[in-house]
Amino acid sequence: MDLESKRIVRVLIVLSTMLVGLVLYLSYFEVFKADQIESHSFNRRQWLNEELVIRGSIIDRNGKILAYSEKVEDIQSRIYKYGSLYSHIIGYSHKEYGKSGIEASYNKLLIDDESNPIRVITDKITGTRDKGNNVILTIDHELQIMAEKKLKGNKGAIVLMNPMNGEIYAMVSKPDFDPTTLKENWEDIVEDLESPLLNRATMGLYAPGSIFKIITATAVLQAGNINEIYECEGSLNINGFVLNNFRNTVHGEIDLEEALVESCNVAFAQMGLQLGKNNLRMAAEKYMFNKIIPFDLVTKRSLFPSTTAMTNPELGATAIGQGKLLTTPLNMALVASAIANDGLMMKPIIVKEVISPEGKSIKSNNPHTIGKVCEAEEAGIIKDMMIEVVKSGTGTNAAIKNTVVAGKTGTAQNDMGKEHAWFIGFAPAENPKVAVAVILENAGTTGGKSAAPIARDLLNAGLKKFE
Amino acid sequence: MFKKLFSYRVPQNLMVIMNSMAVLLLYLYKDRLDRFVLISGILLIFIIYMSNFILLKVSKGDHYIFLIISMLVSIGIIMIYRINPIYGFRQIIWFSLGILNFFLFYFLVRSIKHWNKWLTFYVVLSLVLFLSTLIFGVRIKGATNWIRIYGYSFQPAEIIKVLFVFFLASYFTGFRKIKPVIFHGIVYAYLGFLFLQRDLGTAMLFYFVFTTISYIYEENRKLILYNLSGAFIMAGLSYLLVNHVQIRVQTWINPWIYIDSKGYQITQSLFAIASGGFFGTGIGLGHPEYIPEVHTDFIFSAICEEMGIFGGIAVIMLFLIFVYRGFKIALQQNNKFFRIIAIGITAMFGFQAFIILGGVMKVIPLTGVTLPFVSYGGSSLVSSFAALGILQVASEELEWEQEENHGFRIQKDS
Amino acid sequence: MFNLLSLIFRYFFILIIYAFIFGIIRMIYLDIKAISEVSVSNTPYLKLINRKDSLPFKIKEVYTLDDTITMGRNKDNDIVIVDPYVSNHHAKIILDENFYFLEDFDSANGTYLNGDKLMDAIKLRNGDRIKLGQVEFLFVSND
Repeated sequence: MDLESKRIVRVLIVLSTMLVGLVLYLSYFEVFKADQIESHSFNRRQWLNEELVIRGSIIDRNGKILAYSEKVEDIQSRIYKYGSLYSHIIGYSHKEYGKSGIEASYNKLLIDDESNPIRVITDKITGTRDKGNNVILTIDHELQIMAEKKLKGNKGAIVLMNPMNGEIYAMVSKPDFDPTTLKENWEDIVEDLESPLLNRATMGLYAPGSIFKIITATAVLQAGNINEIYECEGSLNINGFVLNNFRNTVHGEIDLEEALVESCNVAFAQMGLQLGKNNLRMAAEKYMFNKIIPFDLVTKRSLFPSTTAMTNPELGATAIGQGKLLTTPLNMALVASAIANDGLMMKPIIVKEVISPEGKSIKSNNPHTIGKVCEAEEAGIIKDMMIEVVKSGTGTNAAIKNTVVAGKTGTAQNDMGKEHAWFIGFAPAENPKVAVAVILENAGTTGGKSAAPIARDLLNAGLKKFE
Repeated sequence: MFKKLFSYRVPQNLMVIMNSMAVLLLYLYKDRLDRFVLISGILLIFIIYMSNFILLKVSKGDHYIFLIISMLVSIGIIMIYRINPIYGFRQIIWFSLGILNFFLFYFLVRSIKHWNKWLTFYVVLSLVLFLSTLIFGVRIKGATNWIRIYGYSFQPAEIIKVLFVFFLASYFTGFRKIKPVIFHGIVYAYLGFLFLQRDLGTAMLFYFVFTTISYIYEENRKLILYNLSGAFIMAGLSYLLVNHVQIRVQTWINPWIYIDSKGYQITQSLFAIASGGFFGTGIGLGHPEYIPEVHTDFIFSAICEEMGIFGGIAVIMLFLIFVYRGFKIALQQNNKFFRIIAIGITAMFGFQAFIILGGVMKVIPLTGVTLPFVSYGGSSLVSSFAALGILQVASEELEWEQEENHGFRIQKDS
Repeated sequence: MFNLLSLIFRYFFILIIYAFIFGIIRMIYLDIKAISEVSVSNTPYLKLINRKDSLPFKIKEVYTLDDTITMGRNKDNDIVIVDPYVSNHHAKIILDENFYFLEDFDSANGTYLNGDKLMDAIKLRNGDRIKLGQVEFLFVSND
C-alpha cells in the first residue's frame, strides 16, 4: 500500500478509536457513575415523584406539625408553619434551589420513593402512591422557641439534648432565614456574608477555648496524674511563646480540680506538655474529634490538628482549647453528654421515627452508643469538677436554684474577630436529664458572662419538661 | 446482483419497522391520538423508500452511506417529534429538502468538471460569507454565526465547511497557485473568523480537518509539526486570555459547583444520560425537556435517556461505520481531488460527531456544534446532505482525464 | 397503556437498530469478501503492464475474464479503453472449452500478441502479452 493510503488508514484508525473511546466511556459512566449522579438533588426527575405524592409532614415529639404540604389543583405547596424557627433543622425543599436539612436527608421517605425496579414499573402502569411518610422529630417545640429567643440578636448556635439517649430537644443556629420566602430572598440570602444558610450547630467550626479543658482533664485522669500540683504564675513561657491566664491571674499552686474550676490556662498548658501530643490527640479522638459523627443532618468533623509537626507552644495552646483546634457546637454538646452519661457518648438523634400515613412505623432511630470517652469513675470525677465550676468557679451564672448544675465555660480567641463565648453543661448533675452547648460567635465577652445565663434558662426549662 | 438487492432491502425494512413502531407510539402519546403523526410517519417512510430506490437506480457508487444516514435521521426525527411535534414535522420537511439537495449536488458535482481549479472562488466565497456574518450576523445562543433572511436563520459556517474541504482539495492537488504561506494564512484567517464569532466548536472542527488532510498530503512534514505546536500554543493562550474559553473549561472540569448557572446545561445532560439505564426509560417516559437546547445540541442526551445507553452506543456505532465507509470510498477513489474531498467530508462529519458527543458526555468541554443528521436544524441538515451528495459522487468511478499531471508523459509509452 | 407499550417497545427499538447495524456490517463484509475472492480465484485475468498513471485515460490494473470480453473505446465494451489509438471495437477475448482466445476486430492500429500483430484468433497462454493502442496487458492464467 502506498504512503498516502497508509496515512489515510492511520487517520481512520485514530478517528475510529476516538469514537470507540466514547462508547467505552458511556458504558463506564452507566455502570459506575450513573447512580450517584442520578440521585443529585438538582436532578428534576427526582422531583417528579414528588409531584405525584403529597410530601409527608414533619412533626415535633409531641405531635405538633411543623411543616406540611397541601395540594391545590395539582400544584403542591410546602407550608413551613414556623418560618425561620426550623430553617436549619427542617431546611427547605424547593424545585429551583434543591433541598436542605431533614427535607434533604429524609427526602426518599418523605415522598415514599423506592427504587425497587418492579415497584417502578407497576407504579408507571397503575400510577399509585398518594401520600408520603411523616417524619417525627425528637425536638420539643416549646424548647425550640425558647432557644431561638435566647439566641436572637446574636450569631451562634445552641444544642439542647438528652445525654442518656442522644435525643435532641432543640437546635438553633443564627443567623437564620425564612424558607417560606426562599425564592424572593434568594439573592440576599446567598450573598449575605453571615451565611444564614449555614447550620452553625452542625457545620460551624469554632475554636473551643476553655471548654476543651474537659478533654484535657480526661486525658490527665486517664494518665493517672490526679494529684499532681501545678505551679501557676499567671503566665507561662513555652520555648519563647508566652501563654497567659485571663487577666494574667496568678493561681499559685493548684491541682486539677482547681485548675478546671478557675480555668487556669497555665496549669492546663503544663498538663498538655506533660501528656504529650499523642495522648492529647487520642483523648480528643475518643470525644469524636477527627471523626464523622453519625447524624440525620450533615455534620462537619471537629479538627484536632496533625501531630506530626506539632511544636510545644502549639501543644500548650491546644491543651487550653486554642491553637488550630476547631469544633462544632454539636460535638461539644456530646462532650457534655458523655460526661453526664458516665463516659458513654450516645449517637445524636433528631429524627425519632418515620411513620406511614396509616400510622405504621417505617423507621425508628433507637439510642445507640458511639463511643466511650473514659471510665465511669473518671467521668464521675470530672462531673464533680464541673459541679464546682458552676458552684464557685467561672460558671456561677449557670446555677439554678435547688438544682445541681455541672458545666464549663469557655472564651475562645480566634482570628475571625472577638472571642467566642461558650458554655457546655448538664443538669441535674446526680441524674442528668438535659445537656446543653451554647456558643455566641464573636461575642467579645466571656462564656461565664454571656453564654452561661442562656444555658441556665434552657436547662431549667428542659428540666421542667422532663422531670 | 439479486442477492445484493435482497440483503439491501433487509436493513431498509428494519428502518421502516422502527419508524412504524415509533409512529404508533407517538400516536398514542399523551392520549393525543394525533392523526398528524400518522401522516408524518407515512410521509417519512415514503421519503426513505423513494430516495433509496432512486439512489440505487442512479448511482453506481456506495449505497451504504445513504442507508446509515437515513437511520440516523430517523432516530433523530423520532426523538425530535417526541420532544416537540412541530419541530418534528419541520425536521421531516428539512429532511425532504435535504434529500432534494442531496440529488441536486450529486448531479451538479458529477456533471461539472475541473472542480479543482476553482480555488480562488472557494476562498473568496468563504471570506464573503464570513464577512457578512460578522457584519449582519445575529447572535443566537452565544455565538454570532447566524444570518437571518426573511425570518429564516441559517448558518453560513455550514456552507463554508464544504467550501473549506474543496479549498484544501484544490490546494493539495497541485493547484499551486499560492505559496504555502498564503495557504496557511487563509486557513488561520478562517479560524480567526470563527473565533471572533465565538464558534469555538466549528473552529476546532476546521482545525481537525485541516490537520488530517495536511497530515496525509503535506510534503513538508515539519510544517505539520509547526501547525500542531502552534495550535497548542493558541489553545493555551486562549484559555489564559479569553474569558469565555476559561468559562467553558472551568464548567467542563467541575460543572457541579456552577450547577445553577453555567453548569446547568451539562449537568442536566448528565442527569438525563444517567437516568436512562442501559435500555432507556422508553420513549415518552423520560424527561428530556429539562435540558435546554435538547432538540439541537443535546439530542444525544435525550436519546440516551429514552433509548438507553445501548441506544446511544448504537448512534455512535452508526457514525463509526459511516466514517469507515467514507474512508474506504477515499481509498478506492482514483481521482486525487475527489479522494481528498471524500477524506475531508468524512472527517468533517466524524470529528463533528465526536466533538458534540464528547461535549454532552463531559469528555471534552462543551461547544455549540450539532450532531450531524440527528440534531434538529434546517441549515445543518440541508448542507450536510449536500456534502453527502458530493461524497456520493466521490464514491463512484470517475472518468475524468487527468491531463494536468500527465501532460509530458503521454509520449513515453506509445 | 402508552406507558406499557413504550416500556416494551424500548427493547424492540434497541433490537431493531442493532439488527440494522449488524445487517450493514454484514453487507460490507460480504462485499469485501467478494472482492478479495476475485483476486484469489483461479479465473484468468488481464494485468496492466504500463504504469497506470502514465496513461492519460481511466484504466484498471486488473480485469477478470469471466466469459467473452470485448475491448475497445466504445462504452458498450466490457473493457473500455478511451485511448485515441484504440478503435471503437478493437478486440475480443473468447472462452471456448476452457481456453481463452484473442481475436482482433479489424481495428485501425491492430492488436499485438507478444509483439506480433494478430491476424487470426490465437489461443492465449499464461504470460502472453497483449497490446492494443498504448495499453499492454499480461494474460495471467493458472492452467
